[in-house]
Amino acid sequence: MSPEHIFGLTVSGLTVGMIYALIALGYTMVYGVLQLINFAHGEVFTIGGYIAASTLIWIGVDATTPLAVKVLYFTVAVLVSLVLTATLGWLIERVAYRPLRGQTRIIALLSAIGTSIFLQNMIVIIFGPQPIIMPTAIVPTGFVEIFGARIRILQIVIIVVSLLLMGLLTWIVKGTRIGKAMRATSQDREAAEMMGIETNLTISFTFVMGSALAAIGGFLVAMYYGSLQFNTGFLYGLKAFTAAVLGGIGNIPGAVVGALILGLAENWGVGLSLGVLAWLLVAGLGLGLYFQLVRAPRQRISHIADEFRTPAYERQVRNVYRFAPVLAVRTLLSERTDALVHVSAQHALRLMVGNIIIFGLAIVFFASGDMQFASKWQHVISFVVLMAILMFRPSGILGENIQEKV
Amino acid sequence: MAAITARISSFFGRVPRWVYIVAVLAFAIAFPMLEYFGLMQTLWLRVGTRALVYVLLAVGLNLVLGETGLLHLGYVAFFAVGAYTTAILSSPRFDIQWNFWVIIAIAMGLAMLFGFLIGVPTLRLRGDYLAIVTLAFGEITRMTLNNWEGLTNGPGGIPGIYPPQIFGWTVDSPAEFFYLLLVTVVIVVWLLNNLKNSRIGRAWNALREDEIAAHHAGVGPTRAKMLAVVMSSGIAGLAGAIFAYYQQFINPTYFLFMQSVIVVSMVVIGGMGSIPGAILGAVVLDTTPEIIRQTFTSWLPAAIGPDFLPGVQAAMQTEFDRYRMAIFGLVIVLMVVFRPEGLLPNKLWRREMHEEDPRELEKTGQHLFDFEEGTQDLEV
Repeated sequence: MSPEHIFGLTVSGLTVGMIYALIALGYTMVYGVLQLINFAHGEVFTIGGYIAASTLIWIGVDATTPLAVKVLYFTVAVLVSLVLTATLGWLIERVAYRPLRGQTRIIALLSAIGTSIFLQNMIVIIFGPQPIIMPTAIVPTGFVEIFGARIRILQIVIIVVSLLLMGLLTWIVKGTRIGKAMRATSQDREAAEMMGIETNLTISFTFVMGSALAAIGGFLVAMYYGSLQFNTGFLYGLKAFTAAVLGGIGNIPGAVVGALILGLAENWGVGLSLGVLAWLLVAGLGLGLYFQLVRAPRQRISHIADEFRTPAYERQVRNVYRFAPVLAVRTLLSERTDALVHVSAQHALRLMVGNIIIFGLAIVFFASGDMQFASKWQHVISFVVLMAILMFRPSGILGENIQEKV
Repeated sequence: MAAITARISSFFGRVPRWVYIVAVLAFAIAFPMLEYFGLMQTLWLRVGTRALVYVLLAVGLNLVLGETGLLHLGYVAFFAVGAYTTAILSSPRFDIQWNFWVIIAIAMGLAMLFGFLIGVPTLRLRGDYLAIVTLAFGEITRMTLNNWEGLTNGPGGIPGIYPPQIFGWTVDSPAEFFYLLLVTVVIVVWLLNNLKNSRIGRAWNALREDEIAAHHAGVGPTRAKMLAVVMSSGIAGLAGAIFAYYQQFINPTYFLFMQSVIVVSMVVIGGMGSIPGAILGAVVLDTTPEIIRQTFTSWLPAAIGPDFLPGVQAAMQTEFDRYRMAIFGLVIVLMVVFRPEGLLPNKLWRREMHEEDPRELEKTGQHLFDFEEGTQDLEV
């Protein structure tokens, strides 16, 4: 396990993470505005990649094309893909979601799934079931050595492009009029409407922007892996949504952070030996213990109303976290506990179970030493991450940012 | 036109319910006999048997999706758990043949356990999370079945599952499986119908309508939802176990995400929260593609001549599934946009979907809520 190897894995983790982030941003923005999981987003991503790749195939690029012309073709492909995919995003919202405003969530979600299946099968019907191959001539090749690791130039391109796009998005959301309208709409649609904001237009704009980002993500994936399949978007969509939940749904920086963590976790998880992963688990255990013993009780105690605050009461709450399993179970079983202690006990028990699981895994991993997860388990890792985050911090790492109306 | 449909629907509304039940049951019991007397190809008996498996899945999913209002997108995973339990415990793979009842119990128990494990982190949260986690769980289950070759033989699947023996009766022909499934469906539907009108059934409906209000009226949301998820997982496990016996061979491709979606669309198209709807949805969606396929590949060519539209015939054999899925997607969208209550709707759902339409109130009747008149008095 050389440091170069670890660095290389980190860079590819960040690359994949950036692509997840581009997709996750679309999920999180739509969720913020409509409280709807836009299932069709994964398909929009695939279609973006397909359109870009087939435009390039149609133009016809080969190794003899001069660089300037290549750049021109490249730009044309990106633009075509952006425009068509953004239109598709707008159309999806118009046809499948807008008629359902005001219906229950489950209905809208079903419509989203129907759209997703329809689009996925339309890709097969239009482009055929075989994967579409990206013309290799357009893809930047070559490597650079950084810290002794061979890094593909394409990886650097992906990371830089994604960072630029995220900067652009942040500027749009924070610094422009339409961004302000988006934030207002996601806070309270009715109130925003009363203030003279065209909420329908704003929602459409959100879909257009999310789809455009996904289209670029699709293009980058097609370049990175050389090909795209009709069902690529399904898995990417799932993971990007996981990333959005991980960072806190509705939270734009959260989506990026969650996506990067997920990308790293996947690449480290199958690339590093169990002995090395065990050290990561030890670090995680440290964090978990910090949460259990310091952060959580402190936060809980700060919620005690002043007139009830006594040192004995504070100690009781703190002890529930400290001696979690025994005391927490006893507290939960006893009938004479007040709500704060009861909630603390539940929370402490959850944290404790998590820490015990991490501890057990760390020991198993240390004992397994040089063994490694086969790469076919890669997708399982993101699922485990999703379950863990839902179990212990459902609001995500940076906290969710949606206004729920009762 | 509207008057005619109204008269027809009022005629069907006046026929007592037991007449429908008896008619459907009589048809189901007579169905395998048509094959026995040579009136029908064995193919259709197989289609019917598979439809019964889907009926079981649809009524099981209806418990979660229709009654409780939780979107469950990994239902096929529990089906897979049941099927693989049978395949592993009663096949030459490990050369064991356990008792039918033991296997059914293990299959249901395992599926319920997985349902519980999925429910623990997600049911406390907003409903959408259950959708995404169950979806992911479905995919992970399939990947695990594909990758864990020591147990499941990976993509190769498990062949040669032994036929079940129930009290000395060896079930090994399609007709016998049809009757086995029919009995199972009747029992499950009867139990679910009783549950629907019980205390917990009403709690589920209350949660679906308004979770916060239900919580404040004394329904523990997590516990009630957990019960629904665990029970429907058990039904899927049962369906899976019988399916594996019937199929005699299973591999991970039987348990794709699309299967979950198909079951969801059965419930949606039939009418969420309505058991007859779920049954109708399952039967219609399972048999229609076969009918269309047969129409184009054998019936029409036989009637018109073998030269009938050669392109269509070839396309039907290769491309058909793809169009079928695309149409499924489209039908789900159209259905939720134009008729969200489904074909055989549950009364409560229909009213909820058409709150703004005064005719619906008349049609479904004010008597749905006895307290409604009282509240009107108060307001006056």
